[in-house]
Amino acid sequence: MSTSKYLLRRVLQAVVVIVIVTIVVFGLLHALPGGPARGILGPQATAQQITAFNHEQGLDKPLPVQYFYYLNQLLHGDLGTSYTLNEPVSQLITERLPKTLLLTVLSAVVGLVLAIPLGMWQAMRRNKPADYIITTLSFIAYSTPVYFLGLVLVLVFSQALSWFPSQAPQGDTLAQVFSEPQALVLPVVAGAASMIAVFSRYMRAATLENLSEDYVRTARAGGSRSRAILWRHVFRNSLTPVVAMLGYYVPVLFGGALVVEQLFNYPGMGLLFWTAAQSSDYPVLLGCVLVIAIATVTGTLLADIVQRVIDPRVKAGRA
Amino acid sequence: MTVTQGPAAPQAGPILELDDLGVVFTTESGEVPAVRGVSLHVEPGETLALVGESGSGKSTIAFAAMGLLSGNARTTGSAVIAGTQVVGARESDLAALRGRTASMVFQEPATALDPLTRVGGQIAEVIRNHREMSAKEAAAEAVALLRKVGIPEPEKRATAYPFQLSGGQRQRVVIAMAIANDPALLIADEPTTALDVTVQAEILDLLRRLAAETGTGVLLVTHNMGVVADFADRVAVMYRGEIVETGPVEDVLLRPSHDYTRRLLGAVPRLSVAEAEKAAPAAVTEAPDTEPVAELRDVSVVFGRGRNAVRALDGVSLAVHPGQTLGLVGESGSGKSTASRVALGLIAPTSGTVSLFGTDLGRARSRARRALRAGIGVVLQDPVASLDARMTVGECVAEPLRVHHRGLSARDRRSKVAAILDRVRLPREVADRAPRELSGGQRQRVSLARALVLEPRLLVADEPTSALDVSVQQAVLEVISELQDELGFACLFVSHDLAVVQHFAQRVVVLRGGRIQEQGPTGKTLTHPETDYTRGLLAAVPVPDPVVQRGRRAERLAALAAGRTEVQA
Amino acid sequence: MSAVIQPGQVPGKATATVTASGARLAARRFRRNRLAVVGLGVVAFFFLFCFVGPLVYSTDQTHTLLQQVNLAPSGSHWLGTDAVGHDVLGRLMYGGKVSLIVGLAAGVLATVIGTLWGAVAGYAGGWIDAVMMRVVDAGIAIPALFILLVVSAITTPDLTGLIVILGFVSWLVPSRLIRAETLSLKNRDYVLTLRAIGGTHARAIIRHILPNSVSTIIVAATFQIADAILLVAYVSYLGLGVQPPSTDWGGMLSAGLTAAYSGYWWLIIPPGLAIILVVWAFNAIGDGLRDAFDVRGRG
Repeated sequence: MSTSKYLLRRVLQAVVVIVIVTIVVFGLLHALPGGPARGILGPQATAQQITAFNHEQGLDKPLPVQYFYYLNQLLHGDLGTSYTLNEPVSQLITERLPKTLLLTVLSAVVGLVLAIPLGMWQAMRRNKPADYIITTLSFIAYSTPVYFLGLVLVLVFSQALSWFPSQAPQGDTLAQVFSEPQALVLPVVAGAASMIAVFSRYMRAATLENLSEDYVRTARAGGSRSRAILWRHVFRNSLTPVVAMLGYYVPVLFGGALVVEQLFNYPGMGLLFWTAAQSSDYPVLLGCVLVIAIATVTGTLLADIVQRVIDPRVKAGRA
Repeated sequence: MTVTQGPAAPQAGPILELDDLGVVFTTESGEVPAVRGVSLHVEPGETLALVGESGSGKSTIAFAAMGLLSGNARTTGSAVIAGTQVVGARESDLAALRGRTASMVFQEPATALDPLTRVGGQIAEVIRNHREMSAKEAAAEAVALLRKVGIPEPEKRATAYPFQLSGGQRQRVVIAMAIANDPALLIADEPTTALDVTVQAEILDLLRRLAAETGTGVLLVTHNMGVVADFADRVAVMYRGEIVETGPVEDVLLRPSHDYTRRLLGAVPRLSVAEAEKAAPAAVTEAPDTEPVAELRDVSVVFGRGRNAVRALDGVSLAVHPGQTLGLVGESGSGKSTASRVALGLIAPTSGTVSLFGTDLGRARSRARRALRAGIGVVLQDPVASLDARMTVGECVAEPLRVHHRGLSARDRRSKVAAILDRVRLPREVADRAPRELSGGQRQRVSLARALVLEPRLLVADEPTSALDVSVQQAVLEVISELQDELGFACLFVSHDLAVVQHFAQRVVVLRGGRIQEQGPTGKTLTHPETDYTRGLLAAVPVPDPVVQRGRRAERLAALAAGRTEVQA
Repeated sequence: MSAVIQPGQVPGKATATVTASGARLAARRFRRNRLAVVGLGVVAFFFLFCFVGPLVYSTDQTHTLLQQVNLAPSGSHWLGTDAVGHDVLGRLMYGGKVSLIVGLAAGVLATVIGTLWGAVAGYAGGWIDAVMMRVVDAGIAIPALFILLVVSAITTPDLTGLIVILGFVSWLVPSRLIRAETLSLKNRDYVLTLRAIGGTHARAIIRHILPNSVSTIIVAATFQIADAILLVAYVSYLGLGVQPPSTDWGGMLSAGLTAAYSGYWWLIIPPGLAIILVVWAFNAIGDGLRDAFDVRGRG
């Protein structure tokens, strides 16, 4: 099907997914004990104060009506106001999101740049000692809680060796963040470790599968050499399933960012989320969830588009 | 433009010489010797056919000759191509040989090409592997090769991706890659097995013409005796890893000396060819106008919507009468499998009616429909996928009993299963084994037993023997035929193999592109067809008699030249 | 990259089934995967360690013992003591019980929910499948850690509650795997044949699709258990953990984090290593099982 039709269909699917997320978020907002009233007015609020507050905020109207108000608010970019910081949530997120995106994108790029060649290299040395060692290391990296890894990194490279600072760049703007690149190293490594483990495995599996495909035999029969076959044919065919996986990995990246930001005190959205959780600041929490969901869905959509570009069969609907 | 050159390395002796070649595979279950003490030779300009059934080792020899066997294979003996020893050779030496002195064409065009590289680029790669050329020159050469192998609009096609080409076109591309550097030896491993019969004829024509033009020696690996008769100068027959008979094609095919060769030739279903002068036989008395067991009336099936809609069936009407066999023939995409699925009620027609035993399936309620289905038996093509590997043979065969006769005791079930296993000529003990332990032919017989255990009035068989070796095919078809006489069921027999249908079915329906081309009694339709399409189909089937086949080929090519039959892609 | 490409090096693929001798074949293949066998050993060791260990080496894990706070490893306390005076080795056993039980239960729960959801979606097809999968997409779009943090802001669950929450956060991935498996099985010839002769959907699912999915389900469950144990390790860090004096390995890690900077390494290295080893072991077993059954799925 044509690209525009395909895009339209995917965007519609994405919208459906986001709508489901807003319903979930809205549901949580109203399932919370005491509701927003108690959060704003504090635990000492009296029943009358709560009723008055609810009426004021329109919180005693039927739920579907409230949902539409909520949707309306969302469409105007209004995510509510933070209980504790008294700022509009959208503003907080707009300040913090770019920094988190920087961290996640950097981790993803570093992760992929290392994982893809590694996976291919492993496939070429299947079942040899090097393969086993890297497989084991990958599994270990995958099995390590990110905060533990981060902690070990800090203890070794920051405290013991003093190579990198133990705190991420504290600046407010991206420019300030970039002025301290060495402070980004440990956070990015912590964030990328799991990704390297997972994607090198995917690439290894995809490469192995492609190595046993018929077209490799045809190329060999034509006199092509191993290296040429690997890079000209196997590599591109192996990328397709890996790119497909990338879309689904975006939420994992954000989850990792959450922990990494807290550990390295990086003023991004993850840290915002963390502090909001400590103080039960529901508007911030749920606003962040919504934004993350949108980011993930967008990421998956982008991955799909990249797939279409790499693989002409997808475009023709015949992958 | 290339000047026609001779083979890359003109030789005085044979272009391929195998001497006491042996191949042993190391698998999970131990060592498997696939090829034992094979010696043969191919002279420049001649075509040697290597014939055998599955497991004979013929494909293994083809791969061994090119050094393309997988890592778990151990080759012994000698294989010399144009003076170069292949066994134990270094990979760099082999790479210099492959694609230049010796090339290969493979069985499965669907997977032989890199799906993400344009077709022209893949040909150019083979060219530049062995000749100093710029990318642009190689691309132009690739276009010339595409033209040579008969692909229309080669400039446009060169930029296409493999998935945009048909099976026959993809095979032509593979052939183009094989002849790109004028090899002295061409090894073709079942090059037409995966193709429709008319496309097969064209590809064989192409290969023959190319080999003749350049004096290339050809090692043709095949299981199809008709292809051998059509193409080969000499034949070597293989059985269980060894060569049992060699000789000129007429000698081996018409006067076989080895027992196995005789058996093999005897099992090949022969297409009865009408003599040109004989008039059509008097109209065979049609079966009395009994109520058909299964009937499709003006059935159309459309898959998908809008621009991507595919019309799998278009206004198809056919009927299967009690006790009769109706053969449904056609090439791939003709809709024959769709028609059988519609008759089974697995696919609902977009328009038209389907009736089973007189009842309209579309109007019947689900309980009534299910009761009707007790009168049907089904046998499908793939012996492996037809039986659930997690059940024993006995459980597989008993399943229809469990669906429709739930009150039956275990003992009664077991005896019914034993009885039907007897009927399909399988030992009763088979009931306790797993399908995995049986051969392909045995599995199809188990499928047949399952289909007949309820003594149905209709058997729907969709390519029941196409995945089996020739000798096994014959046995299974005989069983079906006998059982039909004994039990009297009607049969809807779907096949692409005209010779099999001719022997088996009383009436035949020829489908093409979802529409019925013609139908009628087999005796008349398949010997004196009314449409050009059916004529072309019949003419394209090679018969295992080299003398007769030569005549047929001449006729067919003349008809093509006169534009009377049609050319597929 | 000088190694020659050898086509067909993937060993002969057998069908992904577990019949009587199929199980033996799978077991043989599993045994050949050394990492998987080691993993099995590690899991066995830790189970013994956590459940039999305290019977052999009993320590006080409930009372505060101020006189032996933060002692370094020594003869009497092989892994030292923590900030409240508990013996770390004993605490490792004690906490391990919780980590393992919660991880196992949550992993199995996630697999069960995911299997049901995926099988229904895959078998039903059409718009039912589309809707069910959009729900899964929506669930995947929100990172599990975020959901867990939100939950921690609302409530502190007990052990059962924790298992349920973790299960509900993790069922999405297995559902997609099982759906794919169901889709492919639905179109197998033997299922089509069954439907053609009048077999019901129920029979197709119960007699054919589910039994043939068993290998995929087992592999998925093993990976889910690994993920769940890892997730449990995050849970205390996020403030959702079990209440003291009860603890789990994640709790030990979180409690010891700040102390780590001051050099009390024995508070974090043992629980950290324990988590890594057990999660690694389950992953290795899952990998081995997947190769043994020849199942497609997680990389």
